[in-house]
Amino acid sequence: MDARLRRVNKEISDCKNDKTSQIKIELFDESPFHLKGSFPGPEGTPYEGGLFEVDIVIPDSYPFQPVKMKFITKVYHPNVSSASGAICLDILKDAWSPVLTLKSTLISLQSLLCSPEPNDPQDAEVAKHYMTSKSSFEETATYWTQIYAGGPGPKEKKGKGVGGKGVQDEVAIAGLERAHVDRFETLGFERSKVIDALRRLNYRGPNIAQITDDRVVEELLK
Amino acid sequence: MGSDYEYSDDDGEYYDDEEMFDGTQDEGDDVDMDNFGDDFKVAGKGKRKSYEVDYDSLSQQAVEKLMQRDVDHICGIFGVDTDTANLLLRHMKWNKERLIEKFMDNATSVLVAAGVAAPEPASPPAPVRTHNNSAPNSSTTRRPTTRGSKLLSLASGSKSAKSPPSTPKPMQRQLSKKQDEPFVCQICFNDAPDLQTLSLGCDHAFCTECWTDYIVSKIRDESEHSIRCMAEGCALVAPDSFIRSVLLPETGADPEKQEFNEKTWSRLQELFVRHFVGCNSSLKFCPYPSCTNTVSCPSAASKSSLTTIVPTVSCGARGIGNSAQDPAQSQQASLGLQGKEHKFCFGCDIESDHRPVICGVARMWLKKCRDDSETANWIKSNTKECSACQSTIEKNGGCNHMTCKKCKHEFCWVCMGPWSEHGTAWYSCNRFDEKTGVDARDAQSRSRASLERYLHYYNRWANHEQSAKLSLDLYAKTEKKMEEMQITSALTWIEVQFMKKAVEEVDKCRMTLKWTYAMAYYLAKGNEKELFEDNQRDLEKAVEDLSELLESQIEAEQIPTLRQQVTNKTVYVQKRNEIVLEDTANGFLEGRWRWNVPVPGFDDPVETA
Ligand SMILES: [Zn+2]
Ligand SMILES: [Zn+2]
Ligand SMILES: [Zn+2]
Ligand SMILES: [Zn+2]
Ligand SMILES: [Zn+2]
Ligand SMILES: [Zn+2]
Repeated sequence: MDARLRRVNKEISDCKNDKTSQIKIELFDESPFHLKGSFPGPEGTPYEGGLFEVDIVIPDSYPFQPVKMKFITKVYHPNVSSASGAICLDILKDAWSPVLTLKSTLISLQSLLCSPEPNDPQDAEVAKHYMTSKSSFEETATYWTQIYAGGPGPKEKKGKGVGGKGVQDEVAIAGLERAHVDRFETLGFERSKVIDALRRLNYRGPNIAQITDDRVVEELLK
Repeated sequence: MGSDYEYSDDDGEYYDDEEMFDGTQDEGDDVDMDNFGDDFKVAGKGKRKSYEVDYDSLSQQAVEKLMQRDVDHICGIFGVDTDTANLLLRHMKWNKERLIEKFMDNATSVLVAAGVAAPEPASPPAPVRTHNNSAPNSSTTRRPTTRGSKLLSLASGSKSAKSPPSTPKPMQRQLSKKQDEPFVCQICFNDAPDLQTLSLGCDHAFCTECWTDYIVSKIRDESEHSIRCMAEGCALVAPDSFIRSVLLPETGADPEKQEFNEKTWSRLQELFVRHFVGCNSSLKFCPYPSCTNTVSCPSAASKSSLTTIVPTVSCGARGIGNSAQDPAQSQQASLGLQGKEHKFCFGCDIESDHRPVICGVARMWLKKCRDDSETANWIKSNTKECSACQSTIEKNGGCNHMTCKKCKHEFCWVCMGPWSEHGTAWYSCNRFDEKTGVDARDAQSRSRASLERYLHYYNRWANHEQSAKLSLDLYAKTEKKMEEMQITSALTWIEVQFMKKAVEEVDKCRMTLKWTYAMAYYLAKGNEKELFEDNQRDLEKAVEDLSELLESQIEAEQIPTLRQQVTNKTVYVQKRNEIVLEDTANGFLEGRWRWNVPVPGFDDPVETA
């Protein structure tokens, strides 16, 4: 039998038989080379309570070339693209070793959620948010966990930002303050444009003092 | 850095000026052209012209010899084996002096960093980032790194010890059954009792088959020559003898696989050579597909040299792939692209031959063309309307002298003006009259003038590029004409080659002309620029004349006259081209050229009111 197939099959069945593991690997359809992995968000992080799904593609020369993984679930994290779910992690690139497995790689993703590396970002805007204000970043990440990963939502915190069930709050998704968005909206700009501009400018925390209203208007007129 | 790095003290063989590949060889072309080519010699052969650089062409074997010399040198000094010397040199980017310095300072750390030896005793491999709680099976592959630490003690002692360190033997072939627990390959999970395994000095054992697949994948999928141990976090690098023993085992595998692996091995040798060449600024690998030659051009090794020379070089080979060099095909192939020599610029990757303009300015121009492509798009169009009757005319040859099929109006493709003004009253088409239409007080018209100025140069630039592309058609047409001539006249094959030579010359000169427009666009106003544009205009006129002659109808009785005319004009075009190239190159050497924009390596433009 094809060595790659033998190895992948063994990895899948090992993972199934491990009842203590939180890591799950399932087939999408018939192919053992396109899989769906999932794991719970780590405790004590903004991702706690969420379930994170990962798209797994096994390349032809696996395990000698790294497995391809990206998040299916939207994640607010400096090393994960907020748009595509692409992941920046060394073991998925040049630090890959053929002894690593799908399971061990998924565990690495789980631990990546515990320890972001904003200096080696996949999503520059999210990384800037993280560097500017960790608490504001965590609020947004928690909100994303709630609306995209089925998380419980913020633990009785001011209750702001979170809309009713099913209603997604664009301001909270962008990690911004409602008051700021409202203020520029009253100048006559479209709300979605204001949100985009403020997000691009990283209009958060101590940064707000650095950004003049003129600068925001300039960005809005682009 | 590799910039000031020389091959070795006893060198000289490869850089001997007398043996230099003579750049004028491209004048002579094929062997079978020799007796004919003499008609076209402009200047005496021999001395290098000011627009040429000294360079040397090296085969892959010649470069391998240079590498081997460095390896032998290191082996001799450090008392290590070839494998180790190779890994050390590759790690230090072939900077031998720095390697010796570092090795003398701390042999252990160099050996570890180069992946020859494992780090200090039996410490677990450095954990991969964000990988703290993972990979339960990686611990089972960890074994005490006895061999590694033994090597280390020897290596670190080499500083003071009289006897050189024994060469490390970082390879082990073993049968797994020697240990009490049964061996399971941690990659393929094979646990067959007779499983053959291999490990580097670190003792991370994996089955032979996994090693083979891994090495093949690294070389073929990643073009990687530095192949690390497969264990997670282990930084040992597989030495050449190990890779060789895996890919080319003595006990023959099935022939198909063996051939595949042999190809992989030779691909690896090429990767080694490419890496070596990339580490040395006076070497460059030939960019033509499937060519493995290298060009050595020390005079263009530094960035600053590129402000005074345009290092156009050729690796010595011709054609694309191996087929074009087949002598049976060469007669056919020599006409078209196929037989072209591997010409390239040593200083940049933008175009094979952008003489007379230097790399930096050529790059600047191409960037401008890219940025302004939207506005300039309309000119790229391959069709225009006749200025007299408005019927659509398609350009289908290299010549700018257009004759409308419908109304017989003759005009210039570039400026759309009547051709009569060009032919007799001279060729004012190459020079943009900057005085016209500029209203200094009107900002809008000024910006329009600047766009028009750009378009003037771009238009002519693009036209010559277009014509050169169309000259492939011209090649084909000319070939047909040459065949006809042989039938309708008494001329031999050799005697009709003047047509081919003329097409080649037109092609070549259009390239020169093309780049003169990039140069002229950036040249500061003044006498120098006017002289430059005078030379440009003379060449352009000569090229258009010859080009037109080539596209004219051939009547059998006129062939002897035509032959004389074409030959004369070809010589003249060649001469004009020489003048443009020579004068521009001299100008760079003398520091004569001034630009209207800042160019790195030149004085900033002086503001002229
Ligand atoms: Zn194996
Ligand atoms: Zn190892
Ligand atoms: Zn070549
Ligand atoms: Zn160049
Ligand atoms: Zn017409
Ligand atoms: Zn014209």
